[in-house]
Amino acid sequence: MFQTALFIAIGLSLIGFLYQFFFFIKGNRTFKGKKWIPRGLNIKTFFLNTIFQIKLFNAGKLRWLIHFLVASGFLYLLIFHALDDVTSFYWFQSYLPTIDPFQFLRNLAGFFVLAGCLGFLFRRLFFFKTLKKRKIHLKGLFSILLILMVLLSGFLLEAVKIISEPVFIEMKEEYSDIEEDTDLENLKIYWKKNYNVVFNEALLYTPEKLALGKNLNESFCLDCHSPIKSAFISNTIARTLKKTGTWLNHHRADNYVYYAHYFLCLLILICLPFSRLFHIFLIPVASLEKNLKKEQLVPGSNQDQFPDQYQDQYPSPGYINMATLHACTNCGFCSDVCSVFPNFLITKNIHTLPHSKIDAFKRLFHPGQFDSETLYQLQSGNGDCTYCHKCTDICPSGIDLQNLWTLLNEKLALKGFQDNYTFIKSLSLKQWAKLEPEKEKIASTQAKTTQLADNVASFENCIQCTICTNVCPVVEHDITGNDYTPQQVMNLLRLGKKHMATGTSMVWNCLTCYTCQECCPQGIKVADIMIELRNNGNLRADAIKLEKMTNKKA
Amino acid sequence: MKFAYFPGCKIPFELEEYGLSFEAIMEKLSVQLITLPFNCCGYPSRSKSLEISVLSSIRNLALAEKQGLDLITPCKCCFGQFKHAIYWWNSHKSLRVKINDILKTEGLSWSGETKVLHLLSFLYHDLGLAALKTLITRPFSNEKIVVQYGCHALRPFSITGFDDPFAPKIFEALVNIAGLQTIEWSKSTECCGNPIYATNRKLSLKILESKLKSASDSGAAYIINACTHCQIQYNVMDVEQELKKIHIIPILFTQILGMAMGLTRKELGINDPHVFDFYYNQLA
Repeated sequence: MFQTALFIAIGLSLIGFLYQFFFFIKGNRTFKGKKWIPRGLNIKTFFLNTIFQIKLFNAGKLRWLIHFLVASGFLYLLIFHALDDVTSFYWFQSYLPTIDPFQFLRNLAGFFVLAGCLGFLFRRLFFFKTLKKRKIHLKGLFSILLILMVLLSGFLLEAVKIISEPVFIEMKEEYSDIEEDTDLENLKIYWKKNYNVVFNEALLYTPEKLALGKNLNESFCLDCHSPIKSAFISNTIARTLKKTGTWLNHHRADNYVYYAHYFLCLLILICLPFSRLFHIFLIPVASLEKNLKKEQLVPGSNQDQFPDQYQDQYPSPGYINMATLHACTNCGFCSDVCSVFPNFLITKNIHTLPHSKIDAFKRLFHPGQFDSETLYQLQSGNGDCTYCHKCTDICPSGIDLQNLWTLLNEKLALKGFQDNYTFIKSLSLKQWAKLEPEKEKIASTQAKTTQLADNVASFENCIQCTICTNVCPVVEHDITGNDYTPQQVMNLLRLGKKHMATGTSMVWNCLTCYTCQECCPQGIKVADIMIELRNNGNLRADAIKLEKMTNKKA
Repeated sequence: MKFAYFPGCKIPFELEEYGLSFEAIMEKLSVQLITLPFNCCGYPSRSKSLEISVLSSIRNLALAEKQGLDLITPCKCCFGQFKHAIYWWNSHKSLRVKINDILKTEGLSWSGETKVLHLLSFLYHDLGLAALKTLITRPFSNEKIVVQYGCHALRPFSITGFDDPFAPKIFEALVNIAGLQTIEWSKSTECCGNPIYATNRKLSLKILESKLKSASDSGAAYIINACTHCQIQYNVMDVEQELKKIHIIPILFTQILGMAMGLTRKELGINDPHVFDFYYNQLA
């Protein structure tokens, strides 16, 4: 039965691996019409990151320690304990699970994993609360709990076996030629005292009997059983179980716990491709690939690769590696260092932060997971990115995050979620001025501005002398597209057409070089007003876009 | 001297050499630079929301104040943004209250004392030309050079207080220290076009092209920058076919100064062997 179950589990796991593999391959081709830029392989990082998690070490020492405890302990248990039939028995002549150092090492490795898992849980339960931006992901929690269950069932199994009388009898039958009852009693006494076995009958012990038992133990048992103290965790559990020992032995609890332990291990195997544990395989893939260099991202170097309407956007490497995308473990280091964290503090848009963006990006490939409002938030949040590369530098999984944000922008643009500039440019000035978003929507996003455009005193002194227009580099060079000059924008304000002013291309093309403001003989803050009008235009565009989406839904 | 070093968002990835050379000359000047967990200065968010941009700046200043340090940046856009933020923070009470509340949730506060310095204003005003001159060990012989002032530090003077916005002189004076004479350039104080590069590339490049042509007409062979965004904008020349024809090389001021101070190319992050074929003054 065990073997059948094992084969079924391996089969299911393989199917899962294949499914993920084809899902990734399919996803990899999502960005149509784009070439793959060869990035080169990063062999050194690949090894160091796979074996020692070097990038996590650089990002945070304590969290590396916790992770490494689990990783190293689990790896030891997997290789030397779970697979001992094909490993330890071959490698070590003297190998037996119950002799030292293996008995001790198994407990030590278990202790590592236990400590690490508790560290993981502790951080999630207590530390996440203090950071409002983080939420506990069930996926991550599930994996931790699964490992914890396997581990605890393992310890429990060892403990139940320690106290088990039936196991003792079986072993005696098999490995000793004790036949006399007195001998058996002496051995039992010795094992009760030294190995914590719980016997049903009352055993009287005297020093002589104990000494005799010790002799028997030496001749039959000691070769295969090191002192039980070295199983320091299981032994402790065994001692606490002593009171219920008789009942447990009567029901052969060791068998049940063995089933539980075995099938939980198989459950891990089955869940591997679909749980957070898959990062064991994805992170090596992600760290093998080099991050794109600055030279590869220089605009214009790959112009032929993306359609005209995105020429003005950030340059694109044009290819997404799904395995890399899914290597994210939601560790949150990226958001801790994110340059635009203050934007999140004001807008409260969680999609400003990288850990949330990559999660959303993953789900973009599963259709129907998002409503338009979330996508709009995602576009707005991703638009704040300053491409400072901090998230990519710190990412313990070695994901080229910054490159993903470029792609995310394009993917959203393809879905029709543009930035405000493109949105306003797509409308004529009259259309834009006519649009009236609901006041509540504007009010909800109304933020403090410099309050110049609403204050007549700040522009009423304009005498339309055109000095601002004459010094403006935008006016000088933009002969075709510019419909209003700075002085005309001031005039629009004087005419009370602020909404119209927020849509003029002068406002959106303004370089904010402040030449106009410096030159204005009337001391009008022309450039500051331009920036404020752009702020207002952004608020208005946001409100209109949101309204459109809610109308669509209704 | 000790400063909190604010590199800004673009230096670590897109303009590494500026950061390297800046740190190298600061080491030479025995100025200690402290790196803090800064966020963006807020300049890119300025057109999105005043609140965001001011909060971003003030948060950085609060981080610097916590360490009792003044802040120095080699980027003119960051410098200008800090100055603007301080201005709005001082002049809008309700904004100040809101920002202070947000900072308080993070255990930060800002009293308004922290000074913000740009590399050039630090060298010119705080260090002084005389002190700088003693460190120049290999002055250059004369070259055809113009300087790009960078708008955000220069204007509006009432807020940035950097230099005379119509007849600035700091940059030239500092370049002269390295032995180089500058050519008069009518567009020296004009914008490079970078602020709208992402949104309106055509216009941005047109502005850049006109600047390059006029510099070329003035007889210049090199444009010296002391601003991250200006240098990035000029670097676009390497990839734009039309601009490749104009023979002008953009150079970072920190690299020039470093070379004149006797620092090696490697220390200054100069990888291109052809970018610096200046001649040194034989007297040196």
